[in-house]
Amino acid sequence: MGAIRLQPPRAAAWTARTATAVWNVFDIQLVIYALALATFGLLIAYSNSPDGARLAAGGTFSRALMWLALAVVAFTLATAFDYRWLRTFSWPVYLLNLALLVVTLALGSGVGGTSRWVTIFGVQFQFSEIAKILTIIVLANFIASRGQRVGHLSTILGAGFVALPPLALVLSQPDLGTSLVFGAVLAGVLFMSGASLKWMAIFAAAAVAAVPVIWTELLHNYQRQRILAFLDPTNDPTNSGFQVIQSQIAVGSGGVFGLGLTHGTTGTSDYLPVSTTDFAGAVLLQELGFVGGLVVLLLFTALLWRVMLVGWRSADPFGLAFAAGIASLLLFQLLVNLGMILGLMPVTGIPLPFITHGGASIISVAIGLGILQSINLRQARPKW
Amino acid sequence: MSGVVLGDPAPRGRLLPRFIVFSLIAVLVVGALGTRLFYLQVAQGGYYAALADDQRFVDVAVSSARGLMVDRAGRVLVTNVPTYVVKIRQADLPFSRREEVLQRLSTLLDIPVAEMNETLDRNPGSRFEYIRVASDIPVDVAHVLTEDHLSLPGVQVGVEPRREYPYGALVSHILGFTGAIDPDDFVRLEEKGYLQDDSLGKAGVEAVYETELRGTYGVEQVERDASGRRLRVVAKPQEELAGNTLELSIDVDLQKEAEKALRWGIELAGLKRGVFIVMNPQTGEVLAMVSLPNYDNNLFARGISGEDFDKLLKDPSRPLLNFAINEQYPPGSTYKLVTGTGGLADGKITTDSTLRTKGYLSIGRYRYYEWNRRGWGPLNIYDGFGHSSDTYFFQVAGRLGIDRLAYWAKQYGFGARTGIDLPGEARGIVPTNAWKQDVFGERIYPGETYQAGIGQGYDSATPLQVLNAYAALANGGKVFQPQVVRRILSADGTVVRDFEPKLIRQLDVDPEVLRTMRVAARRVVTIRHTYNLVDLPLVVAGKSGTAEFGNRDSKGRLPYHSWFAAFVPKDPRMQPGDPSGYRAVSGTDSELAVLAFAYDSRTKGNMATEIVKYFLQIHYKVKKDLRNFDLLKRANFYNSQGGN
Repeated sequence: MGAIRLQPPRAAAWTARTATAVWNVFDIQLVIYALALATFGLLIAYSNSPDGARLAAGGTFSRALMWLALAVVAFTLATAFDYRWLRTFSWPVYLLNLALLVVTLALGSGVGGTSRWVTIFGVQFQFSEIAKILTIIVLANFIASRGQRVGHLSTILGAGFVALPPLALVLSQPDLGTSLVFGAVLAGVLFMSGASLKWMAIFAAAAVAAVPVIWTELLHNYQRQRILAFLDPTNDPTNSGFQVIQSQIAVGSGGVFGLGLTHGTTGTSDYLPVSTTDFAGAVLLQELGFVGGLVVLLLFTALLWRVMLVGWRSADPFGLAFAAGIASLLLFQLLVNLGMILGLMPVTGIPLPFITHGGASIISVAIGLGILQSINLRQARPKW
Repeated sequence: MSGVVLGDPAPRGRLLPRFIVFSLIAVLVVGALGTRLFYLQVAQGGYYAALADDQRFVDVAVSSARGLMVDRAGRVLVTNVPTYVVKIRQADLPFSRREEVLQRLSTLLDIPVAEMNETLDRNPGSRFEYIRVASDIPVDVAHVLTEDHLSLPGVQVGVEPRREYPYGALVSHILGFTGAIDPDDFVRLEEKGYLQDDSLGKAGVEAVYETELRGTYGVEQVERDASGRRLRVVAKPQEELAGNTLELSIDVDLQKEAEKALRWGIELAGLKRGVFIVMNPQTGEVLAMVSLPNYDNNLFARGISGEDFDKLLKDPSRPLLNFAINEQYPPGSTYKLVTGTGGLADGKITTDSTLRTKGYLSIGRYRYYEWNRRGWGPLNIYDGFGHSSDTYFFQVAGRLGIDRLAYWAKQYGFGARTGIDLPGEARGIVPTNAWKQDVFGERIYPGETYQAGIGQGYDSATPLQVLNAYAALANGGKVFQPQVVRRILSADGTVVRDFEPKLIRQLDVDPEVLRTMRVAARRVVTIRHTYNLVDLPLVVAGKSGTAEFGNRDSKGRLPYHSWFAAFVPKDPRMQPGDPSGYRAVSGTDSELAVLAFAYDSRTKGNMATEIVKYFLQIHYKVKKDLRNFDLLKRANFYNSQGGN
């Protein structure tokens, strides 16, 4: 089952294959689920736009539409692009990744003394979203290069060294949530690629043991307060408990069928101060109810399944590692963001993919899915 | 393919368990989220829907028209006029634009940015409440702000009623004023339905009758959209009810006459402070009450600037205080009413007995001087009171002893608040052995009893207390609680509450004793002690007082206040069969008792008597101008210890 023997020559493949052949291996389900989720995101953007000016240029909805269009382009380009070239560019990509994060730290702006966004031509862009995808590419490349030594301790250490600089840069923005995403991606990629379970367990235990140190030394006051507010929302000096309660009230009042699009009470809201960003999911759940929420959860499940499947089917360890990274990314963000909205998780600034408005998030997810599609198209499938 | 795949990948089959575990984790995560979603939206959906409704439907208070005030003749003392106010709702004002918006408001409204920032920051409520930053702004500025509302997010121009006091300073000490609620008060009053941007009575009747004037605020149940804008009124469970109208016992005409007389005397003598009170002894109703200097309460109604308020607070003559009740002074010889009444009632003196008056009395090595340093020889109570003989009343006080003296003082209402319906009344001091033991740790010395008998030493009273004692003398011994409000009417004019005269006590004394003291008070005039009143073709009975206070000057003289408390019979005209007026004052039908008080009044004569004379001259329309300008010339006529 050597990968080399299974690979048809690249140029020959593209000339030989007909469009039908491409279509046959194109994972249409992946695209359908993603587009369906993006449509939910558009609906919420529409609902979150101010009444009477919902379609106004520069409004939440029109910006979301623009970003979705750009995302489709990004997806198409990533699909057409042979993912194997990424390996050649792996280190430049990594350096680009770090450069973006350093630029964010130097020039970025954010809420309350943080620097998370960089404004380019009047558009705010969060480079840490792109950094997630770039880090996954570099990680997957590293894992693939390990070959049969993937089970060694050195794989874990090496992957750690790859993931640590971007993680540290994001942490110093400071953005605890996003840096946790890097941790989750690292764990997912290592796990799925066959890293040593024993050593992973040891490192995980060490991480847990380090929690008290992190609590006192690394966490900022507002982060500690958010976590405390999560543990006891009614006793909260910073109002993040207020958000948690308001978000649960919003979701709960949605009921089975929801209040209907644009009929939510949270909208551009007083009650939910950041509803257009991290709490967009709360608006969705209030306006579309349990039924809508279930559909979104099922779409995420289906999408995750297709992502995993692409990885599993790829004969290439890069494909598997990359798919594991994307799956971990999506799953972790789903858990943390929806968990926060539903009162299961503390408040962190992690977006819900497709739903949360924001260009960087949807573009980076589109690039990730595009690369997956590219992987999918360029495999001779092993028997499943 | 080299360079693409390095080495063999791990055999895919061995990874299958991990694939399954990973998938299980994903299923678990989605399952947990789905379960929680079910719990919140389906199982607990009704509960949260109710909570959300609570936020959507809010009760909004609708302010009621504040009650009016009229004087006893129905003249309007306060009205509500519409004015423009500026409010800010911080939720609508992006923080990044706050500075710019406030800067613009500052230019238009002429209010420092810092002041507005402070107002906003001091607000204890939520960012969704409207906070008033400027009141009573000019109409043209209001129009500019309204037209420009797009560039001034969060700024709202509203119309609010403002108090207007047509008589301004004339009755400001009685009416008081309203002001914006303090954050501290708000915390206390919020449960009573007060609003963040409410105003309330801060001084005078406005403060004392706050609950009557405020009325009942209405309640509207309002549906709001997400941004807090009002969508519609769903229900109105409580209609707003206008506040009640207060009918004051004050007579504006009389108030003007009192003010005119007092101001004339004070300004001519170059003084700073004075008090004039007119009361009906039959009811305890205050007909006029003037305290100078005064202030225009419209300044407060218009939202006084910090600068103006500071000026009023720092003015050394303290115009914000109503000296008729807010401060206490030595009552001087007016207090001899207490000593005389006590002496007669306790049988220490009789109408027939005399006491020998002389240049001074001695106790040990201390001398207690007669005010003229000579005395008059033996005097009865009429002449002792008439001459205001200090040595006479030293002896009466000595016979009574401090505690009996204090008993009679308290009978007349000294040493206790009169209970007038105005805020901040002082209590006064009536010294007793127990009191001195308490304060100084020793008993009263005999000499101090002498001093107490002539209203000096520790004695201290408010002008209203002194007048109320003379009103009790005039009406035959009934000590009433003074009142400035006589009726409360609802907005439509029906009487809600009628204030009956409130009798505090009937003096525990034979009416004959009080008749004696009334004649003695008339004797003060006829004996020419108050020589300037002799010409007045009216029957006036009363007692002057010259009360020393403070520190001696270089010649050993003390500054002093002038008092005169008096009453006139119901018909004050001189009757042919009663040339002395003794018969007229023997009755208890007086309907007018007056008091003048001049603070730190070093004049040639007792100027308080002159002020009262001028008032009576105006009030009873005496044709001839009897004013004695010479008497008000600045001089210290008084160089002995004691009272006159």
